[in-house]
Amino acid sequence: MLDARMRLLATVMLSVAAFLSIFAAVLVFLWWLVCTPGIRVLQKSRYGLLIIAFSGIISVLIWFSGGDGLSYFIRMSVILLIAFWVFHDRAPGEFMDLSVWLFGNKSGFDIGLAAEMSIQSMEFIADEITRLRFAFRLKPVKPGIGTIIPAGGMLIHTQMKRAEDQADLLSMRGYIHGGTICPSFHRANGDIPAAVLSILILIVAFIPVRDIFILLQ
Amino acid sequence: MELVFDHAVFLRKDWQLEADGRFLPGIHLVSGKIGAGKTTLSLMAAGLLSPDKGSVKRNDIHSVMLSMQFPEYHVTGSTISAEVRSWGLDPDIVLASAGLEGYGKKDPFRLSRGELKRLHLHCILSRDWDLLILDEPFSALDCREKKDVCQRIDQKTGGIVIICTHEQRFFPHVDVIWEIQCGTLVRTGELPHALTRWSHAPARIRKLVEKGIIPENISESDIMEASCWMHE
Repeated sequence: MLDARMRLLATVMLSVAAFLSIFAAVLVFLWWLVCTPGIRVLQKSRYGLLIIAFSGIISVLIWFSGGDGLSYFIRMSVILLIAFWVFHDRAPGEFMDLSVWLFGNKSGFDIGLAAEMSIQSMEFIADEITRLRFAFRLKPVKPGIGTIIPAGGMLIHTQMKRAEDQADLLSMRGYIHGGTICPSFHRANGDIPAAVLSILILIVAFIPVRDIFILLQ
Repeated sequence: MELVFDHAVFLRKDWQLEADGRFLPGIHLVSGKIGAGKTTLSLMAAGLLSPDKGSVKRNDIHSVMLSMQFPEYHVTGSTISAEVRSWGLDPDIVLASAGLEGYGKKDPFRLSRGELKRLHLHCILSRDWDLLILDEPFSALDCREKKDVCQRIDQKTGGIVIICTHEQRFFPHVDVIWEIQCGTLVRTGELPHALTRWSHAPARIRKLVEKGIIPENISESDIMEASCWMHE
């Protein structure tokens, strides 16, 4: 899905739908299989399966405390799949376009700038962690509690340094509040049908499953 | 002891690096433009990245060390002394040689990048490695420190030392020059003959070569000596 506006719409619709019922979550999963690169998204998100496994642990805890752990796991896993897809399909500068399109050149610009900088930092941190792992392998230092403090210190230190440099740069360029940008969006052939389908899934999510089968009869 | 790139190819969506060649004991200089793939080559040489095609063989190499461009990545100690100890070294000796006496109890991140780089290089160069890869060892250092690092590299004997850099002035005595040209590692040759073919040669070396003067090597003293020939 190329159009960021459609993607935002679909994300909201599908996330709400998946949260409402297991039946809707199954529909969302089918939507994810048909309308996104599907399993390739997970192959590229290295920590995707790990995060889903973590939600599995929470589900087990819910189950032990008397709640419906399985329902939670299915719905959360599908919401996470949607999140991975959104993260996978994003393009640099897209949040800025979307935010300015939604909220205008003042607040929209500020929100978009913050979002873009946050996404950049996330990618930066992922690279930093890879390099840290390399350094630990070289010494060799076994990762453990003793190494968490210096590793965490390094990540905080570099992020703060980077934030300081970025703030200096923005201030030097005269940034105070807001800015001017002309948002532009590209659209693929399947974008509108996929977005419409996501709206339908949300509508279905509000109808009890029994009613759907009565309607089908 | 040898490091062999056997038709190794590292692929990315819009970029690739090909390497084929043998690195024998001695000091090797790998030059290339920024973004040419020097860091990728370093990581492959150290065994931290696997090539998508071909292989990298480290024959009879038992100890490998890669010095990354940014010294922060190597920090695993909460204090400077702990950091030095994590390299298996005596903090008193290393801190004295790095000019950081009395800093032992400080947080390594309190040091400037230049100081941290100096400390890191002193730690790495205080030990002997079969394969030592230095990725941009001169970055963040001033001229005096660059000279000091060159001298310390010159003292290394027996192992394979690979220096990946786009430094234009300070070099140790180098045995072989390699270049990364259009995504391919090319063996330019042994010194001094390689100097006539070195496409990434610093301006002052190129100027000497154009005048028909081929320095014996590329260290500061060799270039100074060759410059004197030019004025004779």
